Amino acid sequence: MTHRTTAIPGIGSGFQPLKIVFIIILLSGLAVFPFVSGNRFYISLITEMMIYGLLAMSLDVLLGYTGLLSFMHNAYLGISAYMVGLFLIHVSPASFWLACLAGIAFTCAVALPVGWVQVRTGGLTFALLTLAFGMMFHTIVWKWYDLTGGDDGLMGMPNPDISLFGITIGNSGDPLVIYMFTLVIVTLCFFITRRIINSPFGAVLEAIRENENRAAFIGINVRKYKLLGWLLACMLAGISGALFILHKGYIGPSTMSAFAGAGVLMMVLLGGMGSLWGPLAGAAIFIYIQDYISTMTEHWEVFLGLVVIFLVLFLPTGFAGLTGHIRRLRKE
Amino acid sequence: MSGTLSIIVDLTLNSLVLGGVFLIVAIGLNIIYGLSRIMNMAHGALYAVGAYAGFTLVASGLNFFAALLIAPIIVGGIGLIIERTIIAPMRKRSMVYTLILTYGLMFFLDGSIKYIWGNEPRFIKLPEFMQGTLPILGTDYPVFRLMTLLLIILVMGALMLFLNRTKIGIILRASSTIPEMVSCLGVNMRYVHMGALVLGCVMAGLAGIIAGPLTTIDPLMGGEMLISSFVVIVIGGLGSLRGAVIAALLIGAVQTLAEFFITDLAMVIVYILMAVILAFMPRGILGEGKFE
Repeated sequence: MTHRTTAIPGIGSGFQPLKIVFIIILLSGLAVFPFVSGNRFYISLITEMMIYGLLAMSLDVLLGYTGLLSFMHNAYLGISAYMVGLFLIHVSPASFWLACLAGIAFTCAVALPVGWVQVRTGGLTFALLTLAFGMMFHTIVWKWYDLTGGDDGLMGMPNPDISLFGITIGNSGDPLVIYMFTLVIVTLCFFITRRIINSPFGAVLEAIRENENRAAFIGINVRKYKLLGWLLACMLAGISGALFILHKGYIGPSTMSAFAGAGVLMMVLLGGMGSLWGPLAGAAIFIYIQDYISTMTEHWEVFLGLVVIFLVLFLPTGFAGLTGHIRRLRKE
Repeated sequence: MSGTLSIIVDLTLNSLVLGGVFLIVAIGLNIIYGLSRIMNMAHGALYAVGAYAGFTLVASGLNFFAALLIAPIIVGGIGLIIERTIIAPMRKRSMVYTLILTYGLMFFLDGSIKYIWGNEPRFIKLPEFMQGTLPILGTDYPVFRLMTLLLIILVMGALMLFLNRTKIGIILRASSTIPEMVSCLGVNMRYVHMGALVLGCVMAGLAGIIAGPLTTIDPLMGGEMLISSFVVIVIGGLGSLRGAVIAALLIGAVQTLAEFFITDLAMVIVYILMAVILAFMPRGILGEGKFE
């Protein structure tokens, strides 16, 4: 594996002025966009990009930083989305924050025993088990018609008002409100995850990725940290799941399929493993291409497969690695 | 109580047949993993290719037994092409890359199957004498399932003889334990890796055409079989051939019983069983890497 030099906490993790300017321009551009362009389609598309970007970022915490491969990370998005939807339908149609909390907490509660079994096995078995358990969740959601609506998906979700400290921000059925809400949450998650990754905890995860045995020799409880990394990734996936169902107002089992999971994996590959902003960019590119190609051909699966093969063979560090490469060339 | 007895006989034979099919697919995966440390995510898709190739061969008027020979060779050829073009260049890299690479290959193959044969289910037409049933202990059991069982036993016996009695088999087994030593003795490891992948793919194709008439052939069959065979090799221990035998028979039995008693959600029982076994034996029943 080609890796950048392992980050030392506190060193090289500060923001450079150029980066800050870039981030501010990007964020303000995204914030202003819906008011400049009234195009509903693009507002919805960008919301989806941000949601899948968060999911891809959470997978990258696992794949790029801890060195663990999860084939079906979208399963945890699905679990959270179903839970939020079921909570709003059956328990309380108005309590927005409680529903999101329930979705994320339930995702973590499911991920904990699954992760506990998974980290006890080796790195390769871990990957195979993520696929097996992901397929299990997919099957349950698909076959449990009475609860989840089976193939038809979960429908008829009420749209609660989003309010913070007693002030109502807007109704979650409004695409504009969801767009802004997603933008804020994804940005927050990005900076929090960045902080976590640059902390000693993140350094431990990277040590495990580089060499599990050595990490164990210097006294790191490898299983515990792998489990914590897994839980962090699943929690972020849970947040993206809550955003997903608020945005779509609907979820079906195909969102949890292995095929959709490969899409998430490709977002990470496209963006580059081991950088947090890479998968965000990868998700944006992927969803744009998917939207473009699926209107032209029904054999999207063949293209997905070919692009994955191409990326692994010729561009294993992805988009983020490419920019790093260009920067290094310019320095020389 | 002939009713109960016939059900028991039925279930036993069914679980043996299902376990046997799992076994052949899982053994192919284990051979590839044990010899070249590559987990072939496209194995299920190759199994489906074997079944579809068998369907096309039989539909074009070929004898079923001839198809039984030719389909695995076709799949083995595909395996050779895959090895030479995309897996060999990745051998030096981390395992994560080959996992993702073969995963992409799986979607490519699955998509190609849908492109060539379409989405509707297909059936392999059996020769006349295999379409009937045979009375065993009060139950009428399909002749084809018995033939399948016989075939599986023959294939496993041949594989055991090949690995234990021939020089190539001994080289393969030695390469799984100490590849450096075998390499020092003048064996070109490239051929061993190539042979492993081709042998594994032949097994996948064989399982495909054997299992084809048992179930309907549809584009989903590859994915389902991939997951089942993963469960088998994870329970049995990665790369462990004996572990695969035990695990395949166990999973075959559990799945048949679960499907008989609770129909839907049968796979969930299998997954829970797997989780329980792994919680106590994280490396599988027989541990990893015992290639014998």
